[in-house]
Amino acid sequence: MADVTATAQEMADRAMIARVGAGDQSAFGALYDRLSGPLYSLALKMLGDASDAQDALQEVFVQIWSRARTYDPEKSSVFSWAVLLTRSRAIDRLRARGRRLRVVVESKPDEARVAEATNASMVESAADTAEKSDEAARVRYVLNNLPSEQRQAIDLAFFGHLTHHEIASQLGEPLGTVKARIRRGLLKLREQLRT
Amino acid sequence: MISDEQQDQAALYVLGLLAPHEAAAFESELSANAELRDIARELREAAGAVALMTPLQTPPASLKQRIMHEIAMKTEERTVIPLRRAPPGWVPWAIAAALAVFCGLLALDHLRLQRQLADIRAVDPLMQTTFYALAPSAPAPADAKATVAWQPGSQSGVIRISNLPAPEPGKDYQLWAVDAEHKDPISAGIVRVDKNGVAQIRFKPVEKAEHVKAFAISLEREGGVPKKEGPILLVGSA
Repeated sequence: MADVTATAQEMADRAMIARVGAGDQSAFGALYDRLSGPLYSLALKMLGDASDAQDALQEVFVQIWSRARTYDPEKSSVFSWAVLLTRSRAIDRLRARGRRLRVVVESKPDEARVAEATNASMVESAADTAEKSDEAARVRYVLNNLPSEQRQAIDLAFFGHLTHHEIASQLGEPLGTVKARIRRGLLKLREQLRT
Repeated sequence: MISDEQQDQAALYVLGLLAPHEAAAFESELSANAELRDIARELREAAGAVALMTPLQTPPASLKQRIMHEIAMKTEERTVIPLRRAPPGWVPWAIAAALAVFCGLLALDHLRLQRQLADIRAVDPLMQTTFYALAPSAPAPADAKATVAWQPGSQSGVIRISNLPAPEPGKDYQLWAVDAEHKDPISAGIVRVDKNGVAQIRFKPVEKAEHVKAFAISLEREGGVPKKEGPILLVGSA
């Protein structure tokens, strides 16, 4: 099924990762060029320190190099695989620091969120290609249009790395409600991005 | 048909939020349920997309060089690992047990020989020398090579290079010692080749390098740099 629904970018990524798995350093360099921006941005957001984010990214890419042969396209796209590896490494580092990242999720009005997304898009546009900017802007648009409680739950779960129990406690909501918000938010995000 | 509860678990699973025993139970359920695997994949893709909501930042160019260097080093190690592999798993248990006994005896003998070797090394400088064969990596010519004879005791060595054409104007080749105790490679100075692409140079790293894993030559700005910036042309371990 995954093969049928794969986009051209996914197919190109898979071809690259296959070459990386075969020990092709130039393919690895190309994969780095494609993924390093978003992965570094994620590590930086989670760790809040450029040097730490760079070390985490180095670990991630070394992991990609050594694990490329075990990548399974049935489980995820190369991009999502790399994102979740990065998130995992960042969480390891946060744990090593002995503290958790405190993510303050405010219930901002939608206008404020749109303004924030627009500013973020401007930063990105200056740094990256129009294609990547479009993709990121689309994700932000979709996320910004999720019901605020779903977006809040996803923020806390993804960037804050709070357990679902901790999220429920922080939001003062029943555990089942929090689980459902994360699931509904992610599925809605996926559905919207497909259209 | 996948229930809401199963979907909830799938969402928590892809975000790594399940406790280990819950994750193990969910994986077992996944392996038996193709529809659930599809849902998990969809959720994983959505989770991956969440990363795109962070404003894009570009990592410094030096990070790519650092990573490519580490990959090159790992590739070198990969070529050595097969020689060190343990015996294949089909070796019968009885032979393994017998080998274990012999290994114990050999270990004792090895210790004795090590002591003797240490005594000899203390009086013979040649015995203190470790040799490193440096192989080319792009963009060096495929036939470029170098050999390093390194003496940890005196913290000095000799490098012999062949088939490495002179660098373009404004550039120099720089030798680096990759030491297990140092985060960054230690500079061992500029190396200049003659018109035939040959050099034989005595060198001494700028810092103490007691656990040298490898030597490498990179292409740097003329006069050299304190910290490696340019691409690695030759690299090799002992």
